[in-house]
Amino acid sequence: MGNDSGFMNRHYFLLRRLHSLSGILPIGVFLINHLLTNSTIAWGLVNSRASENVAPGTIEQVGEMTARRVGTFQHEVTFINEMPFLVLIEVTLWVSIAFHAILGVYFARTGKSNTARYAYQDNWRYSLQRLTGYIAIFYIFYHVATLRWGWTFMSPTDEPWSHSQAASTFSLALRGQAQGIGFGGILVSLFYFVGVTASVYHLANGLWTAAITWGLTISESAQRRWGYVCAGLGAGLMLMAWSSLIGFLLLDVNHARAVEADMHAAHGTHVETTLPVAEADH
Amino acid sequence: MSSTEALREHEAQERKANRARAKAGRSVIFKIIRCDGPGKPSRWESFKVPVEPGSNVISCLKWIAANPVTIDGKQTTPPVWDSGCLEEVCGACTMVINGKVRQSCSCLIDEYAPLEGDTITLEPMSKFPVVRDLWVDRARLFNALKRVKAWVPIDSTYAQGAGPKESPEHQQTRYRLSECMSCGCCLEACPQYNIEEDESKWDESFIGAHAISQARLFNEHETGKRLKGERLEELSDKGGVGDCGNAQNCVKVCPKHIPLTESIGAMGRATTIHAIASFFTGKK
Amino acid sequence: MSDNRVIVVGGGLAGLAASVRIAESGVPVDLFSMVPVKRSHSVCAQGGINACNEIARQQGYSEYEHFDETIYGGDFLADQHPVLEMANWAPKIIDLLDRMGVPFNRTHEGFRDLRLFGGSLFKRTHFAGATTGQQLLYALDEQTRRYETEGKVTKYEFWEFLWPITHEGRCVGIVAQDMRTMQIRAFRASAVVMATGGCGLVFGKSTNSVICTGGAASRCYQAGAAYGNPEMVQVHPTAIPGADKLRLMSESARGEGGRVWVPRKKGDTRNPVDIPEEERWYFLEERYPAYGNIVPRDIATREIFDVCVNEGMGVDGQNQVYLDLTHRDPDYLTVKLGGILDIYEKFVGVDPRFTPMKIFPAVHYSMGGLWTDYTPGDYNPDAPKPGHKSGSPIPVDAQKGHGLTIGATNNMMTSIPGLYAFGEVNFAYHGANRLGANALLSCIFDGLCNGVSVVNYIKDVKEEAPQGVFDEAVRSEQAKHDKLVASTSGGTGDKAYNPYQIAKELGDEMTAASTVVKTGPRLEQAIAKIGELMQRFGKVELGDAASWTNQSLSFTRATGDMLKIADAILRAGLLREESRGAHFRKDFPERDDSRFFKTSVARYNPETGKSDIEFVPVKAPLVEPRARTYGKSDTKKETKETAAAAS
Repeated sequence: MGNDSGFMNRHYFLLRRLHSLSGILPIGVFLINHLLTNSTIAWGLVNSRASENVAPGTIEQVGEMTARRVGTFQHEVTFINEMPFLVLIEVTLWVSIAFHAILGVYFARTGKSNTARYAYQDNWRYSLQRLTGYIAIFYIFYHVATLRWGWTFMSPTDEPWSHSQAASTFSLALRGQAQGIGFGGILVSLFYFVGVTASVYHLANGLWTAAITWGLTISESAQRRWGYVCAGLGAGLMLMAWSSLIGFLLLDVNHARAVEADMHAAHGTHVETTLPVAEADH
Repeated sequence: MSSTEALREHEAQERKANRARAKAGRSVIFKIIRCDGPGKPSRWESFKVPVEPGSNVISCLKWIAANPVTIDGKQTTPPVWDSGCLEEVCGACTMVINGKVRQSCSCLIDEYAPLEGDTITLEPMSKFPVVRDLWVDRARLFNALKRVKAWVPIDSTYAQGAGPKESPEHQQTRYRLSECMSCGCCLEACPQYNIEEDESKWDESFIGAHAISQARLFNEHETGKRLKGERLEELSDKGGVGDCGNAQNCVKVCPKHIPLTESIGAMGRATTIHAIASFFTGKK
Repeated sequence: MSDNRVIVVGGGLAGLAASVRIAESGVPVDLFSMVPVKRSHSVCAQGGINACNEIARQQGYSEYEHFDETIYGGDFLADQHPVLEMANWAPKIIDLLDRMGVPFNRTHEGFRDLRLFGGSLFKRTHFAGATTGQQLLYALDEQTRRYETEGKVTKYEFWEFLWPITHEGRCVGIVAQDMRTMQIRAFRASAVVMATGGCGLVFGKSTNSVICTGGAASRCYQAGAAYGNPEMVQVHPTAIPGADKLRLMSESARGEGGRVWVPRKKGDTRNPVDIPEEERWYFLEERYPAYGNIVPRDIATREIFDVCVNEGMGVDGQNQVYLDLTHRDPDYLTVKLGGILDIYEKFVGVDPRFTPMKIFPAVHYSMGGLWTDYTPGDYNPDAPKPGHKSGSPIPVDAQKGHGLTIGATNNMMTSIPGLYAFGEVNFAYHGANRLGANALLSCIFDGLCNGVSVVNYIKDVKEEAPQGVFDEAVRSEQAKHDKLVASTSGGTGDKAYNPYQIAKELGDEMTAASTVVKTGPRLEQAIAKIGELMQRFGKVELGDAASWTNQSLSFTRATGDMLKIADAILRAGLLREESRGAHFRKDFPERDDSRFFKTSVARYNPETGKSDIEFVPVKAPLVEPRARTYGKSDTKKETKETAAAAS
């Protein structure tokens, strides 16, 4: 332990700045990308080409809008899953998040919130930054464990998330049942709402403070201007996050499955042909 | 108007409104934390103090010292507090008044307790060890000035000609920073600055806004710059500017309106540049 | 030499300048202060610091003229040789402070800006905003901290000086008490520098900080050090009366058109803005039709005092008059006087743009202090020169001549060898009246110039005082301390023996009898009153028996010491049967050089507990005394400049 703190002290500046940086790159960039992908479950409905791989009969059964939403989302998920060195990317992300989380907790423990006495807006944001950090740790762990590592015992459904049935299995994981929503589903949905909101806030506010930490914004007016930018970005991400949740909550699981099955069929050969190419890359 | 200025204006209006409704010839209750010494338990004591026009916390404390009888009629000892110039320029009489840190000399009773029986609470600053009652030991604050080498390294005090020329704008920037009276308000309000009684840990604990701002002040001076690298090293280490959590309470409670958060940003930039420069050209 | 240490008591400008200079020469310094040195009273100085400068020099000004102004301003009571040397050093001191990083205001081209100040026709005052004293103190505080980290200066902050220790007639150390633990300890030193400031608190409320009791100086005086010109205390005409202290209101308020008045009807309780013009008494305008509100400082002080104290016409029956700016455009006032009006609003809670300010003169500075010696330099004209004509060439031999022999071991040494007095506690520089912006200069000059004398002095000190001397000194102070603690009343509550009550009566009496207007009978009455207070003090009852951080004890002890100083102030004032500078005797309204071109030297008589006063001729003057009129036409000019400069 003594060695650890010695290491910490020797490389304090580097660790501090890596902590700040890791929140933006890769974690922040990934979060933005992730929310962009997920929100297609809502915004896919404006994607007129999304139902190209869905059989006309299925479209008739589920409706054009669902076909577009699930079609777009599944297309994005498949794209990601076909990226080369996906595991490497994933591991990098997990390590970054763990690094950011562990150091973040260490740093957060050096402070002591005093909003009761100094109820200034900036001070509230300081305290919220730490609170949302803690929430995000639990949330992201739950999120990854249940959906990526298949720890279904923590989920209201037994069915693990599948990247080839991304929308339906996630909707199931969120609501716990194919139709409507159960008690467990309400809890998980609320947790998702709180968790994703906290994560987005943490990123937006973190971007604002990072600009001071790195010395990009110095004057009060520069900090205010950059604050508007961060607030705008935060609002946009918040919109994406909430619309994703609403999109998944309002999804009919059986309809989604039908669309996914069509897409899988249309896609199957593609997967097979690309595999050897990926191997050749090694 | 910046948000800090707007906040100050709002607070000033509140005080003004209180002044306008202040009742003449009233008495005010002073609730004071008493503590006989380090490690001793603390207790609240209340005093009923007649308020004259223009009374401030110091004059009321003096009245209590001359009449140390609590509201329950119990004889007690005169309260102990630290004070100096009574003009809000020496920083000595800083304490926590009605929950917020400020100088007690410039705290007018009319602005804080305008009506009969209104209460004013006095507490010692919580981020420094209590010596007795309202008096705290701010030695760590001055130690922070040593950490950042807050001085200009002149050769000697013998006559060696004038100092460097300077534009009036630059002088104004330095003057604002140089008004820091080491009162500790920025530290008391800072959620990242916590009491640390163990002197051996001072050099690794968060240094606080005042010292970061002083480092900036001396880095701005032609001769002061000679120690710039050492100051930035100190600010890069544990307890340096990196430990700032950007709660920005410091700038809001600074009685001298020093742009502390600006200094923090400026030192953030300086340490970034210093680190990059050291990475590519540094010898260590 | 290796064991030689120097003790500096007091961490204001003088003490810090001395510490830095002495530490720099390789001698370790132990620095004692009742407060963290950065909080010393020097922070309160606002206006600036005087020095001849290149621009003024090209206009005909010189160090010599600065010297002459200071002597003239001090009504010829200052020691002239040290003042000449101080004026010579002034430009170099400004340069040094500049190098230390003091943010002096700048011209567009980047040179140090200058302002006009009272007592001179030339711009010779350097300034850093409206807090020059603070900025200078911080610069020296920083340098001291630098030496502290190098181990050359050891600070004892929150330590109170109790007594100088002497052995075979020399000062060999001090006794001091930790104000937190209450531990009393002796400290050895080869020389001791007192830099403990003035004694404003003797007058109750003043513009001084709460630590300016003069207690340390009084203890040296009681230990045998002579005290010079105790009766010379400067009273500033306009200060803001406060429940706790009197805060300075710059003279520029009058310069910008402020009118001084009181209601014609005694005890008129109406809101001042409701009192019609014809029911207001503009007494300065009435009594001085030519100059009106911008009469010189001492006259304004005397008239305001007279109207309130003698005629009882003060506003609300209290000692205060209106200083009225409400007839001026508020925006104009904000531009011209913003800073000082904000201070008024902050501490009084009233906006002076719309409501007349209530002001009253306040004790501001002690010209008197511990008597000190010096060795003259090589400028010693055969006969004193006549007054210097502004802008004319300076005497040829003064051009290169030194006022002091630099490094002479007796420079600014008190009557106790090895005990020095620097800064406001030193009586030498300001005579009967101090010129504005000369105080900061004299403090730093003492530390820098005469710090060298201290270093030279300790080179000759060989003998080691035996430990018994120190043990005995501690025993003696411990006994005094224990006696005070034992006096704790435990609530018998006879107010007559309450230390706060005694201090209050002392302040009231001193303010009434010995500030602006003095008379023989009133001074005699006050001497009797002080005698009575001393008797009561003998039975003082302390309110706190704590053996930890006992502030009551410190205050009570200082009260006893203030009584001793008060006695010296009154007796010297009574015997000086003339009016000179700040000392105005209604019964002797003229300056009397034949009898009193002399320093009053007070010595403590341990038998009686009172002061013995002796008048000693001012040493070999360099300029002849002349009438201090500020020539009638000049007076008007000078006053206007004073006012303008103060803004």
